[in-house]
Amino acid sequence: MIITSEKPFEKILALLKNEDNMFVIGCNVCAAKLRIGGEPEVLEMCRKLEDSGKHVVGWVLPTAACSIRSFESLVEKNEKITDACCILVMACGSGVSSVANVVDVPVYCSSDTISLGCSSGGKLISNQCIMCGNCIIDKFGGICPKSQCSKGLLNGPCGGNVEGMCEIDRLKDCAWTLIYERLKKIERLDLLYIVHPPQEHGFK
Amino acid sequence: MHLNFRDKLNSSKFLITAEISPPKGTNFSASLENASQLKGVVDALNVTDNQCSIMHMSSLAFSKLLLDDGHEPIMQLTCRDRNRLGLQSDLLGAYAFGIRNICLMTGDFPSCGDHPSSKPVYDLDSVQLLQLVRKLDAGVDFAGNKLNGGTSFCTGAVSGINPSNPLQLIKLEKKVNCGADFIQTQAVFDLGMFEEFMEAINHLGVPVIAGLIPLKSLGMAEFMNRNISGISVPEKIISRMRKASNPVEEGLSIASETISELVKLSRGIHIMPIGSHRNTPKLLYMARLLRK
Repeated sequence: MIITSEKPFEKILALLKNEDNMFVIGCNVCAAKLRIGGEPEVLEMCRKLEDSGKHVVGWVLPTAACSIRSFESLVEKNEKITDACCILVMACGSGVSSVANVVDVPVYCSSDTISLGCSSGGKLISNQCIMCGNCIIDKFGGICPKSQCSKGLLNGPCGGNVEGMCEIDRLKDCAWTLIYERLKKIERLDLLYIVHPPQEHGFK
Repeated sequence: MHLNFRDKLNSSKFLITAEISPPKGTNFSASLENASQLKGVVDALNVTDNQCSIMHMSSLAFSKLLLDDGHEPIMQLTCRDRNRLGLQSDLLGAYAFGIRNICLMTGDFPSCGDHPSSKPVYDLDSVQLLQLVRKLDAGVDFAGNKLNGGTSFCTGAVSGINPSNPLQLIKLEKKVNCGADFIQTQAVFDLGMFEEFMEAINHLGVPVIAGLIPLKSLGMAEFMNRNISGISVPEKIISRMRKASNPVEEGLSIASETISELVKLSRGIHIMPIGSHRNTPKLLYMARLLRK
């Protein structure tokens, strides 16, 4: 799941300061789950924009904003998009990019994209993966230090671990403590002795 | 014959190093003056690299200034501020300047310091940085390209001293396997813990230089216990600091007694005073490592 957070409405309004006749596109996957881009939120956004003096020509809720086949596929869902002078996308950065690829008007985003996370056991968890293009998460018992260690260290914790908590946030578990506990549980502590080479950048 | 730090490391001499910070600015006379108190007193000066993520003159530049002033520097290099290109450039530059000793570490996160929003680099970690140095020593760069002149560094790495922290011990083992010539530790207050640590890593056969911070006040001891990873000041020492009428003197006495034990347990000590080295010669005299 892509973790996003909604920008304050005043900020969205400031982005749209010189725009009118807008079309709103939500997302029925991650953003809907996070309650910042599903149908209720899209309708609420349209109402607030109208209340602020903006004309909203229409809205649509594609299955996934990050998977838009073509402009025509949006027109099929709501032909009012052809009247739009700009589009506000209530989804992650990928969703906004996907929409921008098929339209010829300015595109705005109502949210900030935080990380690739997950929803597990009813809890939202950020920063589960950095999408590095070279997955070795099995070497760490399913907890990736590239994303979960603040320094992205691959060969063990730094010296900043205080009683199992992270140097930069004393309320956050040190990723390496979690990795150790997990590997111990699955009886694979031997994996901790691997000397990992650095992440290769630039080949994605 | 003049013995350098590496020669001494290979001998049986008990080593004394001291930590020194580059200046925050371009005026370096006060920093050199602080260092001058240690001339003929310690074997090498360990020069910090933007310690605590607080921006200072580079450890490379200040190491060169120390070298020109007749000291032997150990240049610290962290993974925080440079990618593998920058790390290698600085290492080649340092070697060309005559700097022969380095001490490698991960580095505190930028948010700990005075430029909290700067980009944390950590392109390599401290284990990979050791591998990089060994490549430069072999005359090739990290990508395997041949160098026109390689390096031959005496290379240290750092470690905490908690014998019951398996992650720390495994990382230390990786560092030794990747070529660390010596290990410099976090400050030792609990000698029992340090002795157990030394037993736990005895099989690695690496020279260990024990960290030492002379206490200056009760508050300092309590603060370190609460906030500094790997530092554990035992209640006995806390209580001595609490009762002390002159806490600075008491801190020196405690440090001196600690040194007397460390002489039996480690290959050397690394003194990290908070502030200047004004009391370092006195401490070494008290510990009978220095004659007046």
